[in-house]
Amino acid sequence: MYLVSKIEDTVRIPPHRFEEPLQEVAAEILNKNYMGKIDKKMGLMVTVKEIEDIGVGKVIMGDGAAYHDVVFTALFFKPELHEIVVGEVIEVTDFGAFVRIGPMDGLVHVSQVTDDYINYDAKRGALLGKESKKSLEEGNHVRGRIVALSLKEKSAETKIGLTMRQPGLGRLEWIKEEKEKAKKKGKS
Amino acid sequence: MTKSKLTRFERARIIGARALQLSMGAKPMVEVTGSLDPIDIAIRELKENVIPLEVRHGPE
Repeated sequence: MYLVSKIEDTVRIPPHRFEEPLQEVAAEILNKNYMGKIDKKMGLMVTVKEIEDIGVGKVIMGDGAAYHDVVFTALFFKPELHEIVVGEVIEVTDFGAFVRIGPMDGLVHVSQVTDDYINYDAKRGALLGKESKKSLEEGNHVRGRIVALSLKEKSAETKIGLTMRQPGLGRLEWIKEEKEKAKKKGKS
Repeated sequence: MTKSKLTRFERARIIGARALQLSMGAKPMVEVTGSLDPIDIAIRELKENVIPLEVRHGPE
């Protein structure tokens, strides 16, 4: 889920940027400092949205830069347990498929792709169902549910586990098929 | 803008801070002629009362 949060902070404006418009410089510096950082409570910082208030600069001992108290709103991406997400498969390996859900990636383990037994086709780079003819390849769009979450300071260490073994989840084409099947059943 | 009456301590602090800013790339508020030393430029800026700094007393 994406959230907009209001944050109070101090921003350091170096002297060689005094001539430039303050708000723009402040936004740029804040973006440089915090973009891509992960906070356990807030999630991943995507970007500074708006500088709401910026105070007068203060010069402290030993540094020529101006320190401004600043209130700004920022956009965060916070994956939550049991959240339903839609994303694109970006990589398929023998142990599962990586799904891009916004600015982070999630992993669907092979055991969580379908109820069917799954084989990995290394040539195609695809996961194939044994009995059903379901296949999962790079570029497919899927809907999944977040079932495991470990947010770390570094985004490379953050792990998001997804499942698609629930009604209404899976590759979007499978969901369509299921729906049509259910409709036919209802008619007859 | 800086008030005209500064104590010698305030003057030293202002010139010091301003010289550091100039050395870190701030644009001089006076035309630079002669000495390129940031302290000299800061002193000239103070003389012409164009330093964009002010003295605040007490906490905050």
